[in-house]
Amino acid sequence: MAVYKRRYNSYTGSLTPQWSRFFVLTRFAFADLFKSRFFVLLLILCIIPCLFSAGFIFVANNKTLQLLMQLRPDMDFFKVESQYFIIIMTMQTQAAFLLNCWVGPVLISGDLTNGALPLFLSRPFSRGDYVLGKLAVLGLLLSAVTWIPCLLLFTLQAGLASDGWIWSHLWMVIPIVFCSAIWILMLSLISLAVSAWVKLRIVATAIIFITFFIPAGLGEMFNAIMGTYWGGLLNFSSLYRQILIRSFRADSIMGAFTRGDDIPLPMAWAMLVLVCVFALFVLNVRLRAREVVRG
Amino acid sequence: MTTPTIELNGLEVQLGGRTILHGITGVLKSRAIGLLGPNGAGKSTLINTLLGFHTPSKGSARVLGLDSLASGKALRSLVGYMPENDAFISKMSGVRFVRYMAEISGLPSEQAMERAHEAFVYVGLGEARYRPVGTYSLGMKQLAKLAQAIAHGPKVLILDEPTNGMDPPARKRLIELIREIREASDICLLLSSHLLRDVEETCDEVLILRNGQIASICNLVEERRANRKFLELETIGAEASFTSALESIGCECAVFTSGRIKVVMPDSVEIREVFKVAADRGVQIRRMNHRRDSLEDIFLNAMEQSGVADGRL
Repeated sequence: MAVYKRRYNSYTGSLTPQWSRFFVLTRFAFADLFKSRFFVLLLILCIIPCLFSAGFIFVANNKTLQLLMQLRPDMDFFKVESQYFIIIMTMQTQAAFLLNCWVGPVLISGDLTNGALPLFLSRPFSRGDYVLGKLAVLGLLLSAVTWIPCLLLFTLQAGLASDGWIWSHLWMVIPIVFCSAIWILMLSLISLAVSAWVKLRIVATAIIFITFFIPAGLGEMFNAIMGTYWGGLLNFSSLYRQILIRSFRADSIMGAFTRGDDIPLPMAWAMLVLVCVFALFVLNVRLRAREVVRG
Repeated sequence: MTTPTIELNGLEVQLGGRTILHGITGVLKSRAIGLLGPNGAGKSTLINTLLGFHTPSKGSARVLGLDSLASGKALRSLVGYMPENDAFISKMSGVRFVRYMAEISGLPSEQAMERAHEAFVYVGLGEARYRPVGTYSLGMKQLAKLAQAIAHGPKVLILDEPTNGMDPPARKRLIELIREIREASDICLLLSSHLLRDVEETCDEVLILRNGQIASICNLVEERRANRKFLELETIGAEASFTSALESIGCECAVFTSGRIKVVMPDSVEIREVFKVAADRGVQIRRMNHRRDSLEDIFLNAMEQSGVADGRL
């Protein structure tokens, strides 16, 4: 089918492995995303707190610099311990939430608007591959602003600190990765589920915000009226924060009271997993090559 | 023995609580198959079932020996599909859209890009390949859909109403392309259309559906061959001696008013002998047609035989 010959020829060349084809979606989505200056700016802004944190670690481990800055080296402020990573993780998960609100809503709706889904699914490409491809976009992007920079900060601290800091704090790697993973998974699946239902970006973004804030408000109302704490199950951010704090073996963030403290940790995990399962259910209903009208 | 292109074994499909395909059974062996039927006959449901979009409630469907359900992925790796409705990503340029689809079909990035360019030029959209697909006219979108269906070099090309919304020259061009694709390779073609002419010009075998059942399976090549010896003549001159001379060489004749004669020729008689007889008798042949049952006749017959012939398309 060479251009100059203008005749049809079948393809006889090599094919890529089937397991890797979901990544085509990810690659094309990234190419589209990086065309937007706003997105690049947002991504840079999301990483900036980590740069300041790196500066903080450098100062915390440099006694000379502390003296030059006329700071007392024995101040608690300069300790790089659980609290430090809880704060960084909290900041970065909020950054991830904003990034997700910008990127997520258009990932699936763009394909559904003009009925492109049958084109994907008429190929050796399943709905699972499709969701995996789209999930990988958000997974990689949100990882780049959550656990990856946090692990880099951990590595920086381990490199600068002396007397075996790394061995006594190695356990922190697990909460950094796992807490980020559940947050990323939940955010991504909610975004994709919303994107599969709502075509307009602004409406989809509003719905993602609503998903996090309205149930939390309703939960608080429920708690106030019924005199219980189980309404906290509807506050996903609070549940995540609780998981984060307990995973880092702490009681609070800088001594501040956090809502949802009373909910048992397994229940908090179960609720976040349940949200993920519900989002998957929504995607399963919506992502069909052909819609069947009942009746 | 060659593998049939499509095999349907008691295929029943239920959608939304209604039975759309009622246990249809048939074997289609030709390389170019047309799918005909009135609205709601089940053509698109059959195509969607072959692609694995719908699960049969009973029976099975096979394409090139591969079960649509059990070997869905393997089957879809052989297929190029051009859907009936709009199917594109509006913000992507045409060539990038086709490359994207080719890569999902498994072509490596460079080859996908090359094939996307080739496919776009081949369907006649070379000039418009860098424009976003959303800005294309309806006819251009149809061609873009065809380009994405052929870019990865499928073995089976499924076209659902390919000429929908196209003006006559564009339709003619698309039909030519489909015929070229069919003739240039060993590709199998399944074409569903409301337009009998589209099917007649591109297909060798026709599956006619009505109310979710097979009304007829007709081999157009054999039909054409069977009707090749049927002539319609308009003559001026000695009709009686002309017809008796034709009958003497084995033809059957029916004479109508104004010199119109219908002639059924036996296999041993060639057309030149008819001219010779006419010349010997001083008869002028003003018009000669190879009369054959058109697909429209076959279609209407199928509709009549399978129930009420409403002729609705």
